[in-house]
Amino acid sequence: MAFKIDVQNLNLFYGEKQALFNVSLGLPASQTTALIGPSGCGKSSFLRCLNRMNDVVPNLHLEGKVLLDGKDIYDPSVDVVDLRSHVGMVFQKPNPFPRSIYENVAYGPRIHRLFKDKSALDQIVEKSLTRAGLWDEVKDRLQQAATRLSGGQQQRLCIARAIAVNPKVILMDEPCSALDPIATAKIEELIDELREKFTLVIVTHNLQQAARISQKTAFFHSGYLVEAGETGELFTTPKDERTQGYITGRYG
Amino acid sequence: MTSNLRKRHRQEKWFQRMGLFSLCLALLFLGIIFGKILITGLPAFFKTEIEAKSAPQHLLNPYAQYVDQGKWTAASDAVDMYYKNGYPGTLSPQDSQSIEALKSQNKIRLSFNGAFFTHSDSSAPEMAGIWGALLGSLLTLLITFLTAFPIGIGAAIYLEEFAPKNSHIYWIEATINNLAAVPSILFGLLGLLAFIHFIGLPRPSALVGGLTLGLMSLPVIVVTTRASLSAVPFALKEAALGLGATPLQVLFHHVIPSALPGITTGVILSLARALGETAPLLMIGMVAFIATPPSSFLDPATVLPVQIFNWSRSPEMGFVENTSGAILVLLLILGLLNGLALFIRKKFETHHGF
Repeated sequence: MAFKIDVQNLNLFYGEKQALFNVSLGLPASQTTALIGPSGCGKSSFLRCLNRMNDVVPNLHLEGKVLLDGKDIYDPSVDVVDLRSHVGMVFQKPNPFPRSIYENVAYGPRIHRLFKDKSALDQIVEKSLTRAGLWDEVKDRLQQAATRLSGGQQQRLCIARAIAVNPKVILMDEPCSALDPIATAKIEELIDELREKFTLVIVTHNLQQAARISQKTAFFHSGYLVEAGETGELFTTPKDERTQGYITGRYG
Repeated sequence: MTSNLRKRHRQEKWFQRMGLFSLCLALLFLGIIFGKILITGLPAFFKTEIEAKSAPQHLLNPYAQYVDQGKWTAASDAVDMYYKNGYPGTLSPQDSQSIEALKSQNKIRLSFNGAFFTHSDSSAPEMAGIWGALLGSLLTLLITFLTAFPIGIGAAIYLEEFAPKNSHIYWIEATINNLAAVPSILFGLLGLLAFIHFIGLPRPSALVGGLTLGLMSLPVIVVTTRASLSAVPFALKEAALGLGATPLQVLFHHVIPSALPGITTGVILSLARALGETAPLLMIGMVAFIATPPSSFLDPATVLPVQIFNWSRSPEMGFVENTSGAILVLLLILGLLNGLALFIRKKFETHHGF
């Protein structure tokens, strides 16, 4: 099976400290891959390698390959701005721009010039908000400040903002950890719908969530990728003792 | 346990009362200062006039006789002082009597002293005004703004957003922070050396004054701008970077708009400080007696606080109220600038939901 993103022998160093050890993992297209593991295991660092959000960290050093559609994203010829338009990101805390709802979604298409005229932009905004399941709630107040939405609505707005540039992959770094159960349920539903169009990678601390929404799960521990496989299989018959210990709640 | 709790509550009450007391004390002193300046300064905005025909020549203002030929003519300084404060000064008893006579016939009155706002400095207090100093302040402040604003903002943006974190940059940062605390008179010395001795710009001009005050304002602008830039949440930059914005787009689309209220406030407050500054301008010779308002940046000029300083050293009684009057005008302008800063801050504050 061809992977959308294929990570090969990734080693990541923050200065002297090594954060990831020889990680190789394939992320299948049109599927949700969940990254699980105890805090500080390297799963967020791994996620941030996939769209080079780690670039801003000083003294960062990286070995290995991250292939997106067969092309190494760490190749010097790759423009990181272009890369991020293909690999979008949703963060732990909702972080809308302090502008209107409309402008939040329109920002990505604007900087990448993805539309011809105003009506085309309107369409992109409506389509993205509809996909993010937010359109019905905000269609009458698109010019209202985005920061006045509730936490769950803000996070769905951030998802709409990410899909407005039509990326191939969406990375989510614990997108529900700041939300209440009802908002979380909405986002999970949304993730399941988005899977058909995008390749999703989600970091989560919530094992039930990983089991509910992902098709593939990868378990990280102290910088090592311990085990990866079909979600059902990994949760019912883990091969490694550490995976077994983590998913049964013995540590982590 | 309960006694301990009571003690802690008592401590808190005591601490609050201490704070309230200090606040009241500060307000009291502020009230005394303002009251004194108001009482002394307000008469400067009015002048005594006499119906010219009914008064002896020597009671009229020697300058005014040539200036206004109308029915009412400005009285001399001594008459002005006597009419306003009952202070006889150099007046003879006969003069006092004739003033009292004019009073009873309603032939002497107070009217608005337009000259205080339209005239420049003069050796006669009743003819002296703040116009020249006001114009000098305006020209000087313009130069200060034009130099300190772009350079300060540029330096702050570079240091905060782009500069590599190495030891050279660290020393530059430390130096700028220290410069913000350097006594202003040292900047006057620097201005004297750099702009007058080295470059050779004309001595007491608004240009040199403005450049000197610009030097003084620079570190403050850099420090306040950096503080407002660094207060922009990293999550906001991350959001834009994650969408594929370039660092420059992140800066101009998100960071600067979010930091703008803080930056403007910092700039306005440092300009207000420059407007009230006296010491560095004394060093570069702006303390001279200047009776004609400057018509260009190179003309000899003085500024409002220096004018106040000059008048406060003059022996004539009339300059006492002139001094306080000019202080009132300066305080009014400073108050307006501070109000503007507050307004901008409230109006353009962005509310981050995170």
